[in-house]
Amino acid sequence: MTGRGTPSRFLTAVLHNGVGRYVRQLQRLQLVFSPTAPDARGARQFVEEAALDFARRHPGVVLYVSPRPCPAPLLLAEYLNGTVREELVASKNGEEIARLAAKLADQSGLDIIRIRKPFHTANPSVQGQWHPFTNKPSALTVRGPRLPPQ
Amino acid sequence: MASFTKAAQQWATFARAWYLLDARMQPPGKIAAVTAVRLEGRHKPIYHALSDCGDHVVIINTRHIAFSGNKWEQKVYSSHSGYPGGFKQVTATQLHMKDPTAIVKLTIYRMLPKNLQRRTMMQRLHLFPDDVIPEDIQKNLVEELPQPRAVPKRLDEYTPEEIAAFPMVWTPPKDYRRK
Repeated sequence: MTGRGTPSRFLTAVLHNGVGRYVRQLQRLQLVFSPTAPDARGARQFVEEAALDFARRHPGVVLYVSPRPCPAPLLLAEYLNGTVREELVASKNGEEIARLAAKLADQSGLDIIRIRKPFHTANPSVQGQWHPFTNKPSALTVRGPRLPPQ
Repeated sequence: MASFTKAAQQWATFARAWYLLDARMQPPGKIAAVTAVRLEGRHKPIYHALSDCGDHVVIINTRHIAFSGNKWEQKVYSSHSGYPGGFKQVTATQLHMKDPTAIVKLTIYRMLPKNLQRRTMMQRLHLFPDDVIPEDIQKNLVEELPQPRAVPKRLDEYTPEEIAAFPMVWTPPKDYRRK
C-alpha cells in the first residue's frame, strides 16, 4: 500500500530536545472491570497482586480502580497532550495487564501512526532561502556593473 | 504574517538577474558555453528543468569576437530556405559582415537544449554589436561575467618605453643586414 492513503505524522519529541527535566506523559490510568465477570478475572488478579506495586513504581501517575458492572474490562490511559487510549484487557491474566500498564506509562501519548521521515526540524533553514544575491558582494545590489559610481 | 514573509522570500528566490558579458576578443564557442548555462539557470542551486529559472544575458561587442585558426575563411554557415535551389552557404566572414550578432546568436542557439524552451531562453538573450546599450537594459544589469578568455595585448597597445624595456634575447650587430 502506498504511503498516501495511511495516516501519518512528522517525527516529534515531547521533551523539547532534553531541555528541562523528564515529565512522565501518562497522567491518569483507570482500570474498569466487573467484580463478577469471568473475563475480568485477570483484572481482579492485577488489582490484588500488582496494582500497588505499579502505583509505587509510578508516583506521577494517578491509578483509579473502578469495580463496576461493565461489558468488558478496560484500561483507560490519559496523557498530558489530551490523548485517551482505551485498551481492552478481557481474558488477560494479571501479568499481561501489568506489562500493558507499564507500557502505557512509558509511552508519550503521540499517535502511533506512520512517521513520514525519521528526521524532522521545526527550523528548516537558519540562513534563509537562496536568492540571486546570496554569497554575492553587496555592492551589486546598489549599482550595476557599468553605471557610474555615485 | 508568516505566509507573507515566506511568499516574499520565494519571489526573491525566483527573481531573474541580468548579466553582462563583453565579447571583445572572445571565441564564440566559449561565450556560448558561459551564456547557455546562465540562460538555462544551471548556475543556480534551485535549478530544475521544468521551473523556467533562466537569467537574462546581455552580450556587448559581438562585432569584435575572435575566431582561432582560419575559421573566418573556412567556417561555413549553411541554411536552406525550403525552396528548390534554396541552399545557401556563407563563410563566417560574409555572415559577420551581414549581421555582426549572427555568429554569437547561432552558436548559443545551437548550444541550448533542443526543446520547447529554447526560443524562450533565446528571448532572454540580448546581443549588441558595440558597447552601446539602451538605457532600460542598462538599468537592469546586475553583474559583469568574467571573460572566458584573457584578452591578449597587441603590440601597438604597448608604450614605446615598455617596448624598449622588453628584454632582448639577442642584440643584432651594427652591420647586420636583414633580408
